[in-house]
Amino acid sequence: MTKRPATPEAALLSRSARRAGPWPGLAASADALPAIGFAFCLTQALAPAAGEARMALPWLIGVAAFAALRGLLAWLALRLAAARAHVIKAELRRCVLLALFGARAGAAGLVGAETTAVVDDIEALDGYFVRFAPARSAAALAPMLVLAAAAIASPIGAGLLLATLIPFVLLMIVAGGAAAGAARRQLDALSRLSGLFADRVRALPLILAFQAEAAETRRVAQAAREVGSRTLSVLRIAFISSAGLEFFAALSVALVAVYAGFSLLGLLPFKVPESPDFARLFFVLALAPEFYTPLRRLAAAYHEKQLGEAAAARLAARLALPQAPAAPRLRFAEPPELSFESATAGFADDPDLRIGPFDLHVPKGGIAALMGPSGAGKTTLLRLLVGESSLAAGDVTLGGHSLGATGSFADAIAWAGQAPVLLPGSIAENIALAQPEATADEIAAVASQAGLGDMLRRRPGGLQARLDERGSGLSGGERRRIGLARALLKPARLLVLDEPTANLDAAAEAEMIDLLRRAARGRTVLLATHSAAVAAMADQVVRL
Amino acid sequence: MTGPASPLQALVRRQRRQQADALRIACAAAAAVSLAAVGLLGLSGWFLAAAALSGAAGPAAVLGFNYVFPSAGIRFLAIARTAARYGERVAGHQAALSALAEIRPALFAGLAAGDPARTLALSSGEASGRLVQDVDAIETLFVRRSAPWAAGASVAAAVVLLTLASPWATGIFLAGFAAQLWLGAWLGRRVSSVPGAAVLAASAALKDSFQSVAAAAPELRCYGLQDRLVDMLMDRAAALGEARRAAWSAEGVAGLPQACLTGLTVALVLAVTAAQPLPLAVLAALAASVAMEGGAGFARMFDRDGAMRAASLRLDEVLRPAPQAAVAPALSGARIGLRQGAAEVTLAAGDRLALTGRSGTGKTRLLEALVGLRAAPPGQIRIDGVPLETLPTGAARALFALAPQDAGMISGTVRENLHLADPAADDAALWAALEDACLAGKIRTLPQGLDSWIGEGGARLSGGERRRLGLARACLRPAPWLLLDEPTEGLDAATETAVVAALAARLARTGQGAIIVSHRPAPLSLCATALDLDAAPQLVCTDG
Repeated sequence: MTKRPATPEAALLSRSARRAGPWPGLAASADALPAIGFAFCLTQALAPAAGEARMALPWLIGVAAFAALRGLLAWLALRLAAARAHVIKAELRRCVLLALFGARAGAAGLVGAETTAVVDDIEALDGYFVRFAPARSAAALAPMLVLAAAAIASPIGAGLLLATLIPFVLLMIVAGGAAAGAARRQLDALSRLSGLFADRVRALPLILAFQAEAAETRRVAQAAREVGSRTLSVLRIAFISSAGLEFFAALSVALVAVYAGFSLLGLLPFKVPESPDFARLFFVLALAPEFYTPLRRLAAAYHEKQLGEAAAARLAARLALPQAPAAPRLRFAEPPELSFESATAGFADDPDLRIGPFDLHVPKGGIAALMGPSGAGKTTLLRLLVGESSLAAGDVTLGGHSLGATGSFADAIAWAGQAPVLLPGSIAENIALAQPEATADEIAAVASQAGLGDMLRRRPGGLQARLDERGSGLSGGERRRIGLARALLKPARLLVLDEPTANLDAAAEAEMIDLLRRAARGRTVLLATHSAAVAAMADQVVRL
Repeated sequence: MTGPASPLQALVRRQRRQQADALRIACAAAAAVSLAAVGLLGLSGWFLAAAALSGAAGPAAVLGFNYVFPSAGIRFLAIARTAARYGERVAGHQAALSALAEIRPALFAGLAAGDPARTLALSSGEASGRLVQDVDAIETLFVRRSAPWAAGASVAAAVVLLTLASPWATGIFLAGFAAQLWLGAWLGRRVSSVPGAAVLAASAALKDSFQSVAAAAPELRCYGLQDRLVDMLMDRAAALGEARRAAWSAEGVAGLPQACLTGLTVALVLAVTAAQPLPLAVLAALAASVAMEGGAGFARMFDRDGAMRAASLRLDEVLRPAPQAAVAPALSGARIGLRQGAAEVTLAAGDRLALTGRSGTGKTRLLEALVGLRAAPPGQIRIDGVPLETLPTGAARALFALAPQDAGMISGTVRENLHLADPAADDAALWAALEDACLAGKIRTLPQGLDSWIGEGGARLSGGERRRLGLARACLRPAPWLLLDEPTEGLDAATETAVVAALAARLARTGQGAIIVSHRPAPLSLCATALDLDAAPQLVCTDG
């Protein structure tokens, strides 16, 4: 085999395979042992030692028991491999999650693509580690076990088995090298063509709107036919390897049978250094199909291999995302000044899109509101402060510190967003996420400041009531108050509010504005809103 | 199957008829593979045993032993097995690929003619990906068509060989084989389908959790919650991992009783052939063993039956034709009436309407209803005085040229995207439309000009370029009304001014009417009339 340059996905897969350890491969290889036992019992039943009856009960039981043992072992091997794959996937998933959450601003992709990475791509490794990797180990080891058993009975019979393996491996190298390389290039082109169907399904609304369905159906038909004929020409080559497997498996049986038959007849045209009896030769014959079984299983797992490698390539790219430097510690004793100086936000995935340049000066303890239609960049400007958007030009300063230098003001900010994140746990624990060392009294105080009093009195358990991560049973307003309480608990002097009243009705909004006005005391506040009522509480309003 | 065929079944049946020849070849070849496999091992065993007996009986018996026929038979079967396997694979895949090449466009045409609401739901990557997988699953309907023939041939070959030895052996084998099939079908229905559903549910739950956390990324940074949330997500992922392990285990368990049955059947066949001559006993044991193993492979196919059925059901669902109302009257689009709550406007040909309102008030939905991508809300839209909801879906499509908000593109070239709007447009018309959208300069710099590949869904263009290409495409369509959804979003001020001026000139020249959704003053300045959806209180989403 030619040594290919190590790709990131190959490195990731081999690292994970090392984590899996040798046991799944060994368990899969152990399948050869009951197969040998089965062949042995079958031989003993048919050709008993001198003085014993044919088909003696112990050997018949042995035949049935080894077959059953084989099923049991296959089940255990599958469970073992699945357990190891579980561990590998969990470790990898943790790494990917940490890489995604810690990625530098703008480096990670869209939420949809990230979700695919975290869920589907990791799961695609399941088949790779449960089916393909153990089958690969077994393909190397199990035929050798069979060969060893056969060699004990008849070295020449075993030699015949081995003799068919060598041309088979050579054929696989040729078919799997040159031909497979061509096939791979062909298949890449084909996947683009067959992608056409997926693309046109996705774009169907557009096609309907332009009444282009007839033309696009013709195009899909043409591409589909082309895929059909071209795939077939690729498959004709690819099937050579499966025919080769079949041929050498059949040849191994035929060679052993012919050698054994002529040897028993004493008609071999050449001299051999052994004179085995029927039992030994039959044993080798019964083992011959087992010699190629592990290779068949490996061939059957080829699809899992391809899926796993493709997923690993995508995951390796996520793991290599540039990571944001740790947010520096930044606490202020009094409300800091905040200035945007021609600040411009950029996006890694869309270099043409820029938000800004944007200028704003918020004095100590001031309240500034950003208004404007959705898509105008309000949230992007807020996210700039915590390093979730990247600063393309200009700068932002907070209490004399430069965003260009620090990368993030996250430590100095108390943030209350539209959908505060909740963890399974009590309401008190959820509030205390902002400040784990807070006392119960402090938590109770901010809860009432955030207007949670009524809700807590109604709810059995009050602050100790349990929440799930969906916040089941909480209204949108209540969730947002938990987010506000959390923001109040953190001793941070810059309060950032993203759409604090979106989706609230007028009465709830008025109540929330009241709470916000009190929360703003002793803090510099930057908020983004659509609501004129919220904007009215600000000292300055900037329209984007 | 009884009752009228579902749309998918009808498609599949038609293709089965068309591919009948290739399918017959595949079935015959599969049967030949099985015959050769059973025959090869059986004959080899018989030859061995007969040779042993002759060899032991002395030189005279050896001289009388006809070894030419069996040894030639063994070589013939080995080659026949290889050739038949190759033939089966090529013919089976040829049938499947040719059938799929016809089924894909038929499915696409069916989708395009179906209920647009379903079509719209498919435009998400997830849903269209699922559909493509389901279509691929249909391929197995063709490829595995030959499996029953292979299993049948194994049975036939084994029955012939076993009957030579003992009718009892035949009976035992048939009972064992039937039990194996019945068990496979039963396990496929009962055991294998349950964990599969659990995997899907756990995977969806993990995706939900991840998306809610990803949406709160700034909060994570401010409160340093990354590690906590990774832990929470890993808890969710553990549920998915457990479901996967259970699914693997169920798959392994399904193999266990089959292995026991194989062992038991072979042992019993051995027992009842105890009194037979050795060559016949060997023949029977090996034939039963090979045929039972082939049957186990066939029985495992039932595992996938549930998944196949689910895929077929989903495809049938999207293929159901939309209920069609009476024949549509020819519409001129001379008069369009829109009513939203208290607000109401009537547009005459050539009028320009500004559609405004906060996000979530239904501006985009209104445009989609006009184009017939979703059902028209009752009482809100009249075209030429006819309520739109009384007309067949899409009846008014010819009146409108839509530039959608997401500026969706088909994967292809600039020219292909523009030709969606007007397949007959010449290059001069294409360039003129691009000039009006201020995109001609950019396209001219591309080495392949109009034939440049813009990537999947237009990924090689920036957001602003995609939007302008979408605008150019809408301008190209010879329709009396332009529907522009946020046409200048994401454009810088200078480009926006140029685009709006070009649009004004074009509208003045062509006399087309326009309905423009925007938050920005520049495009809205084109419009004489305005409809503010904020004035429609029943459409405001309140938080529950």
